[in-house]
Amino acid sequence: MHQQEGDASTGGLTGWPHSSFRKRKLEIRFTGSGSEYFRIWIVNLLLTIVTASLYWPFAKARRIRYFYANTLVDGHALAFHGDPWKMFRGHVLLLVLSGVYSAAGHFSPVAALVAFVLMALIWPALWRAGMQFRLGNTSWRGMRFGFSGSLKGAYVPMLPLWLLSGSLVTLGVVIGQLAGDRPEDAERVMQQFSYLPFLMGGVVLLMVVVMPWVLAAIKRYQHNGYRIASQQGELRLGSGSVYWLCLKALGLGLLTMLVTGIIVGVTAGVTAVFGRSVLATAITGVVSVGLGYLVFFVVIGPFFTARLQNMVWNGTSSDELRFDSQLRLAPLAWLTLKNWLLMLITIGLYRPFAVVHITRLRLEAVSLTVDGDPEAWVASETAANQDATGEFAGDFFGIDMGL
Amino acid sequence: MQAETGAGAPSLLADHFDGRSGRARPVRLWLDGASLVVHDQDLDVVERRYPVRDVLWPERTRYGQRQAQLPDGGLLVAKDTGDWDAWADASTMGRGLGGGLAVRWFSSWRHTLVALAVVVAVGGATWQWGVPAAADGIARYLPSAIEQRIGDESLEQLDEVMLKPSKVSAADQQQWRERFAAMVASQPGEMTAYTLHFRDAGKRIGPNAFALPGGHIVVTDELLTLLRDDPDAVLGVLAHELGHVRGQHGMRLTIRASLVGGLLGFVLGDFSSLLAAAPAVLLHTSYSRDFEREADAQARQLLIDSGRSPRVMITLFDRLDAWRDERVAAAKARRASEPAGLAREVDKQVREGAGELISIAFSTHPSDDERKRFFER
Repeated sequence: MHQQEGDASTGGLTGWPHSSFRKRKLEIRFTGSGSEYFRIWIVNLLLTIVTASLYWPFAKARRIRYFYANTLVDGHALAFHGDPWKMFRGHVLLLVLSGVYSAAGHFSPVAALVAFVLMALIWPALWRAGMQFRLGNTSWRGMRFGFSGSLKGAYVPMLPLWLLSGSLVTLGVVIGQLAGDRPEDAERVMQQFSYLPFLMGGVVLLMVVVMPWVLAAIKRYQHNGYRIASQQGELRLGSGSVYWLCLKALGLGLLTMLVTGIIVGVTAGVTAVFGRSVLATAITGVVSVGLGYLVFFVVIGPFFTARLQNMVWNGTSSDELRFDSQLRLAPLAWLTLKNWLLMLITIGLYRPFAVVHITRLRLEAVSLTVDGDPEAWVASETAANQDATGEFAGDFFGIDMGL
Repeated sequence: MQAETGAGAPSLLADHFDGRSGRARPVRLWLDGASLVVHDQDLDVVERRYPVRDVLWPERTRYGQRQAQLPDGGLLVAKDTGDWDAWADASTMGRGLGGGLAVRWFSSWRHTLVALAVVVAVGGATWQWGVPAAADGIARYLPSAIEQRIGDESLEQLDEVMLKPSKVSAADQQQWRERFAAMVASQPGEMTAYTLHFRDAGKRIGPNAFALPGGHIVVTDELLTLLRDDPDAVLGVLAHELGHVRGQHGMRLTIRASLVGGLLGFVLGDFSSLLAAAPAVLLHTSYSRDFEREADAQARQLLIDSGRSPRVMITLFDRLDAWRDERVAAAKARRASEPAGLAREVDKQVREGAGELISIAFSTHPSDDERKRFFER
């Protein structure tokens, strides 16, 4: 406040245009502690176990509240208003749905196809309801966030995936029906459709190719739906840049495989010439492959995470807000390595510390520039009641996915 | 920050957000009986009252801001946790606001360690008794059509990737079927449905036999060749596999593995699914050793009941030993005769060596010596 008034007076003296001197940078700080979250986590885990998972939504609400109360945007913490009883309903709904879905596959291919179609129809709506619930129950400075993505819009990013995987499932069912139960029939059908493996391989390849577009479309749908008060999020993210990022990650992956292969070959060659011990070669092999995996998770994963976070948040803005994300690869990779090693050593007990550290690194890499005064923002009632039915689904079932 | 109000109740300065505007209003809070009083500092006349139990009080953590959610959608925020806690204690004669069992437990390291010990104990008990009991219960009430389907599908899968049709003549196959049927018939009690399959498994798998869910027993040609002069040993192996079928071991193991995977995924899942899957594979093998012992006991009983000596199984282990030695020797000879092609050799060595290491670490069967002693008794 005081700094802002100071800026205002300077701006007044030098005669800068009104909007530029009001610009102010809002830092994000995360003040959570690993040891405290460890205690919360263990107690949550215990209560969840002794209640046969019934406590889970309450544990989740406590976890979110802790993380929110420690996420300070410009000194003001986020707050979580979700009702654990509603989240309980959502939890049960999701459990039942996924149970039915996975059971259907065991009965008959046709049942699996029906379940798949139903899932494809329901899932985007649930996804949207989940975002409405989470954002509608998150506040900053007392003002609730909201999600205004349309129901139709939720289906768009998923459409190519549903179509492609749907055609795979249908193909399987049709061939299964044609082949019947007699082996000679199956033989005949296989000969008749000898191009089938190529067709299926082609569909899978197409799914891989379309993935970056799906990712970009998902991010656009999400970020364009975020709002708080009169601020409506807008994401400028071309699919091309996501494709380029995926290609770079793929290249890094191939490079890792190549280097691991060379290391394995050379060390194994050396031990074979000098030692001739099978065990030594085996150990070298296992260690090298392990290192390859490690590089994969510690370099390529963080590379993708960091670049995508920066790309997405740097492209996000609203009337008065602009985001800036400067998540760098080296610290993220180093932290990921440290977390993995300590998790392995402590058989998972380090997990709460890992989560807190990663959250801090990723959140504090982001800052906002506000061109205006959040103190003057007012929650718009009309926007909140625009889509009552959708809100209701999310609110009634308390569907909450993700952290 | 703390001060006495006119009525003598301890009070606290905090920020109030009304839920509509982003403006923070400085307020003074105090408790008046069962009500929370929120007194606006700037507008002296505005004073709101809320029942204490309708307010969602913050849990007492060391870090993070204190946020109390008011029933009208408003929010009270105190940035200094120490001030807030001191005020909450003073207003409630030390009981505090927003406490509870969970808060008391996670506020103390001693309680946390107790909780950790209980979690580990419950986890261990679940692993030792819970998962097996649940899986066996599921396996017992699972419709047999589903088990049959899973067994049929697994056999189809194996036929596609690992197994080839048997080279044993149809007449010989029929003879084995009849011999085994006669052996099984010699034992009193309920008959178990099983199907005997003969397959060529190639050199990589070698002499082997295994049981799948749904009563499928698969014998490899290599096993019949290895024991061609000792049919009783073959019957002993088949009896061992029948033991697996009788105990529904395949299905029980599958369900146990998926239960363990699911539980671990639940606890660790949101960080890494890979990390959750690894112990599931590791632990799966220790369950399976118990099943092998059970099947060995069944085989021993069936051998005795059909008037055979359990010692025929010793032949099996000796022959398997010899077969393994022979393979290693052959590999060595090949290496000596072919100095060229280093890269290929290295690749093979790595594979074989890795296979050996894995078989030591992940052995699904008890050791041969232990099993020999069992059949010698």
